Amino acid sequence: MTPDPLNRLVAQLAKLPGIGEKTAQRLAFHILRAPGEYAQELSQAIREVKEKVHLCARCFSLTDSELCGFCRDNRRDERTLCVVETFADLMALERTREFKGRYHVLHGVLSPLDGVGPEQLRIKELLTRLGDGHVEEIILATNPDVEGEATALYLTRLLKPMGIRVSRIAQGLPMGGDLEYADQATLAKALSARREL
Amino acid sequence: MRLLALHVQDFRNLGQVTLAPSAHASIAVGQNGQGKTNLLEALYFLATLKPLRAGRLSELVRWGTSSARVTGRFLLKGAEREISVEVAGGVRQAFVDGKKAASLEEYFGGVSVVAFTPDDLEVVKGGPESRRAFLDRAVFNRFPAFLRESREYARALKNRNRLLKSGPVDAAYLEAYDETLAKTGARVYARRRALMAELAPRAQATFASIGRTPEPAAYKYHPAHLGDVDFASADEAALAVALKEALAARSRRDLDRGFTSVGPHADDVTVTLGARSARAYASQGQQRALVLGWKIAEIENLEAAMGFLPLLLLDDVSSELDPERNAYLMNYLAASGAQVFLTTTDAGLVRGAAAQDTLWLGVRTGEVTSVVPVQEPPAQAQHADEPA
Ligand SMILES: Nc1ncnc2c1ncn2[C@@H]1O[C@H](COP(=O)(O)OP(=O)(O)OP(=O)(O)O)[C@@H](O)[C@H]1O
Ligand SMILES: [Mg+2]
Ligand SMILES: [Zn+2]
Repeated sequence: MTPDPLNRLVAQLAKLPGIGEKTAQRLAFHILRAPGEYAQELSQAIREVKEKVHLCARCFSLTDSELCGFCRDNRRDERTLCVVETFADLMALERTREFKGRYHVLHGVLSPLDGVGPEQLRIKELLTRLGDGHVEEIILATNPDVEGEATALYLTRLLKPMGIRVSRIAQGLPMGGDLEYADQATLAKALSARREL
Repeated sequence: MRLLALHVQDFRNLGQVTLAPSAHASIAVGQNGQGKTNLLEALYFLATLKPLRAGRLSELVRWGTSSARVTGRFLLKGAEREISVEVAGGVRQAFVDGKKAASLEEYFGGVSVVAFTPDDLEVVKGGPESRRAFLDRAVFNRFPAFLRESREYARALKNRNRLLKSGPVDAAYLEAYDETLAKTGARVYARRRALMAELAPRAQATFASIGRTPEPAAYKYHPAHLGDVDFASADEAALAVALKEALAARSRRDLDRGFTSVGPHADDVTVTLGARSARAYASQGQQRALVLGWKIAEIENLEAAMGFLPLLLLDDVSSELDPERNAYLMNYLAASGAQVFLTTTDAGLVRGAAAQDTLWLGVRTGEVTSVVPVQEPPAQAQHADEPA
């Protein structure tokens, strides 16, 4: 018989995505046996993430203060704004170290099938944000799937009349990836969007 | 492309089937309800990941078991690949050489199959949806990217329909989905048009030689309600604009009815004989010859495009054809050199497709066994000695 507290920990860990019962058990034993203050620190970290991390009041990315690091950083160009679906997408763009503007996180895409309309996204907040007139270009970086495209088109309709330059990230083949491994629809798109050299 | 070995496990009424198909014809003979169609469906499912008959994936799993699996060893472009697909808990998973295939596309690298069933023979007489399905299966065979493209269209359509049903809607929101639908729809139009351009002349020529009809056949695809864009020559962007305009023009009535009334999902393929609707006027035999013409054209067209013949699956087609057209089809199959699977309740009907190297199979209550044909094939049975 395993002790109840251990069972409880295993049960909680097994609820995490990608973690099965076996892995949960391994992790639980690891936590139990880990030296020093590890278990203390882990539980502290888990508590704090819930208590202290919330949405940035301006761009709706994650932060532990009123405004996030991207919004507070004066070196970032406030004239360009990149609109993304999720915080994970923001992180992916940030890893490129190419984009030096600011962000806006929608927290989803327009999807009638999932019951997500404009009111469920941070679109009103985006429009309010633009009121100060600092933003000159908006880059729409939603995913290149049906809902992502529709969301980008919807935003274009709202933004263009405001006199803001709107652009959409390009789609195509992954760099460094072999043509061989690209799926056929992506390849077909890349072929039809070819350019002359 | 060639199927070297097939293994079926707990698929419909088939418990365990292991066979080494002929490079040319393999013929499954059995009484009604024994599992002949199931055997072909297993092959079709392996090659397309779709059931041959509409229905749920879970219907494919043999009653009383929890998973079905079909595995094929193929010779693809000079290399042997093992492709396998499993259904369990209502979901399917594909494997290539034992490894989970990341995407359907990866899986569809090379396997290509054309199926021909008695239902297909009804397609000229049937409703527009069966002709659309018939067309799209051919498009998908010819342009593998169409699988994803047509799914994107279907998803955009479902979203727009849901929006229409949800009542009063923000105009910009609906327009955003109109445009998404128009873009994905234009791709579907372009694919269907490209296929028809290749296929129609071949099908018309084939019909001319089997139709026994003085009037020429014509197979046409023209989108409904698309305004006056020149469909034959417009580029995809122009098609998207035309569809967007048509959607806008119909948005009032679409809102009233709660569904989208224009787009590739509402189109039809028209088949005519001497400019008259074959659906309305062609005889039973003519209608079947029209389908046969189309199917043979599809096979020839794929061979021209891919450089190899697709795998052919014919389910009990002979019993639905008159003797003359059946003989034409059997001779065509024997002469084509294609790898083909036929099912029949009467071996005599398909003997024309058989040769020395034919694998004869008996199917009884879900058991498939290799058998010796009861009668010798006629002395001058045609067969193709075509190098693999
Ligand atoms: N999931 C399943 N599990 C077990 N049996 C099934 C399953 N699905 C279908 N069957 C059975 O398979 C049997 C054979 O079907 P199949 O369509 O292959 O027959 P057939 O040999 O093609 O007959 P016919 O000549 O009438 O077309 C049917 O009796 C059906 O009830
Ligand atoms: Mg059958
Ligand atoms: Zn911020």
